[in-house]
Amino acid sequence: MKRKNWTSFLLILLGFSALFGSCTSTDVDATSTTGSTTGSTGTTSNSSSSITTTLSATATTTTCGSTGVAQIVCLAEAFKATLSSTQVSTVQLTYSKANAQKWSNLPAGMSSRVGINLGALSDTQLLAFRNLMVAVLALNGMNEGYDEMLGNLVADDYLNSIGGGSTYGAGNYYLSFLGTPSTSSLWAILFTGHHYTQPITFNAGAVTGVTPAFRGTEPQAAVTAGSRTYQAFEQERVAFAALLTGLSTTEQSTAKLSGSYNDLVLGPGQDGKFPATKSGLQVGTLSSDKQALVLAAIRLYVNDLDASTSAAVLTKYTSELANTYVAYSGTTAMASQGDYVRIDGPSVWIEFSYQGGVIIKNTPHSHSVWRDHTADYGGN
Amino acid sequence: MTKLSRISSRRSGWLLIFTLLGLLVGLPKQASAHPMPNSVVLLNVHANRIDAELQIPLVELQSAWGHAVNDSSAGLVARLGPQLRAYLKTHIRPQSPDGRFWNVTVGELTVHESQNPINGVYRELTAQVQMLPPADEDARTFTFHYDVVLHQVMTHKILVSVRQDWERGQLAETEPVQVGEISLDIVNNRILPLSVNLTSGHAGPGSYWTGFTAMIKLGMQHIAEGTDHLLFLLVLLLPATLLVAGQRWGRFGGIQYSLKRLLAIITAFTAGHSITLLAGSLGWVRLPSQPVEMLIAVSILVSAVHAVRPIFPGREAWIAAGFGLIHGLAFSSTLANLQLDAGPMALSILGFNVGIELMQLFIIVLTIPWLMLLSRTQVYSVFRLTAAFLAAVAASAWVIERITGQPNRLTQGIEFVSPYAPYGLGVLAVMALLFTWRLTRASQLPVH
Repeated sequence: MKRKNWTSFLLILLGFSALFGSCTSTDVDATSTTGSTTGSTGTTSNSSSSITTTLSATATTTTCGSTGVAQIVCLAEAFKATLSSTQVSTVQLTYSKANAQKWSNLPAGMSSRVGINLGALSDTQLLAFRNLMVAVLALNGMNEGYDEMLGNLVADDYLNSIGGGSTYGAGNYYLSFLGTPSTSSLWAILFTGHHYTQPITFNAGAVTGVTPAFRGTEPQAAVTAGSRTYQAFEQERVAFAALLTGLSTTEQSTAKLSGSYNDLVLGPGQDGKFPATKSGLQVGTLSSDKQALVLAAIRLYVNDLDASTSAAVLTKYTSELANTYVAYSGTTAMASQGDYVRIDGPSVWIEFSYQGGVIIKNTPHSHSVWRDHTADYGGN
Repeated sequence: MTKLSRISSRRSGWLLIFTLLGLLVGLPKQASAHPMPNSVVLLNVHANRIDAELQIPLVELQSAWGHAVNDSSAGLVARLGPQLRAYLKTHIRPQSPDGRFWNVTVGELTVHESQNPINGVYRELTAQVQMLPPADEDARTFTFHYDVVLHQVMTHKILVSVRQDWERGQLAETEPVQVGEISLDIVNNRILPLSVNLTSGHAGPGSYWTGFTAMIKLGMQHIAEGTDHLLFLLVLLLPATLLVAGQRWGRFGGIQYSLKRLLAIITAFTAGHSITLLAGSLGWVRLPSQPVEMLIAVSILVSAVHAVRPIFPGREAWIAAGFGLIHGLAFSSTLANLQLDAGPMALSILGFNVGIELMQLFIIVLTIPWLMLLSRTQVYSVFRLTAAFLAAVAASAWVIERITGQPNRLTQGIEFVSPYAPYGLGVLAVMALLFTWRLTRASQLPVH
């Protein structure tokens, strides 16, 4: 009897240890990529999510007949009207520098954002969001303005679909109102996600700032969603290559920076650190057709915004063009990792960095920031 | 998650929880940009020199240095070792306050893969560098001229941290403390050296005493967090108060009998682990950690079986000493990793051992009175068998984990439950008091 107890005890032990076999960890590495693209003009892949499908709708019906900031306020209120009270408290925040600086070029899962994410919105809410965005961005441009934003979301969906993980995708882009939308006080729209950040600051019924704006895309290659092919940030890359290769050898050597640049200098978190001395080639020394190439590159950023806002900004940048500098590092083709270009004017600051792939290894992708020496965050 | 799971399950659940919290809360806040991987410089501060470990992402090194170190990283050290050492030496120049530069020696170079959530997997060069100040200068205050990669790649950043500073009580066991960052001063377009002063701050200038007490704390922490070490000790003590009756455990052997046996077991265990702790940390014996960790789990299993039926009655002390030797090996790897000079090492071994003993005594003093009380009652055999059974299950789970290198649900469960062990002690105390009270009352009842 006692012997029996002893044996049964051992048997129970054995039984337990046998259990472990089936309990061992079966973690699967979720980061393995199942797709790939090659080159910046190569493969296209279908990658639409329900969010981008809804946002690419063409029909819009709004009751906001007014124009300018009054219309934007009306559309912002119309968007808020579609939200539940909890959602409103998520999207409607107080205006503070700390909130305004909550942007990054990391996926939102790696660097937290404020506001409400697109993934949390219903189709009705997404359409109200679309109405607002097409009012502040340029509409009807291919891979520019609102279309560029949409293409960016599509590209992020693509990263998600090839195994980039849940932090990628259109659902991880955030909209917030910093301060209550009004035609008299200080407030801002901040739309920010992985490779796209666009703030618009308003004060006393006028737009006072549209920077710091971040653009970029991975993959740089075209991505298809539905029946459309997007290549959100390719025109900018091509414009910089045209600008640099259009320079004479002497001009190129003046524009060439001695250091290497593998990333942006004034990316997120580097507010107000503009170099005291400008580097490179002064645009005023160039022929008018070469100056036009510089302005063409700048225009691809400024003209993403609605016509009246962009016109005012572009007038300022054009008047300052002669005292604006162009500098680059790497090659003038803007086609390989480490290629970098910078436009630094009295007001304008644009950097473009063609850097190593993160999800798609060994294939470069773009990062770019547009800042303004005095009007970042509306000058606040 | 896989990386977390690989953390030795010897650490208590608290550590796991803190690490998780750190990952969940800390990381997203730190990362505001999409940086190319940074360089990291980890300083091990010694009395008269600093041993630094450099971690340099090859993709950045390639941009700075020109050679295709990232595009063809295989056999890199064999191919370009001397040039790499010369390059590093040119760009690492610590300088004493009087202006004299230190002597820099570049030691071992290795190439391996690294990973972070932002950049994914990338290849990295690790370089061991010794930095020696002029003979009459101290190693704690210097201007760190360091621009490896950064001299060319303007977007590069170098994070400088102290990984170990024994005299200030900082050990490599804990997170490195960041001293500063070397990066481009964008506004003025220049790279400034980092001013390092390791005598200021709340830790004070540091001394052998600070180092010694830090080692005592580390020893205590090792036992407190070493669920398996603790479990081994407790399971071994489980039948120590009992007499052997034939092939079985019998009744309570009396206070004097119990104390003598407890003392013998604890002393033997201490003697055992002290020997291997000394031998291991001085580098005389070095065993890979996997078999050692596995043997520790086996020691618990054997003790659990012994607590059910006496398999080595009267020889507990010898067994304790033998298992002590194994446990000491596990402790010693901690010390050996510190790579201390002779003086601090001797003090560290002593301090670490004192810490281990203090914590063991503390646990024993907290537990033994209740075990002795409870072992006089009828319920003790049930308690002993249950405890032994649970310990055996835990030990089996650890054995499997340490053989396969994969955590299983049970070991993860132990990680989760172990922080609540102090409550178990409370339950033990209540049980002991309750059943002792009933026993006393029963014996006081009128007999007729």
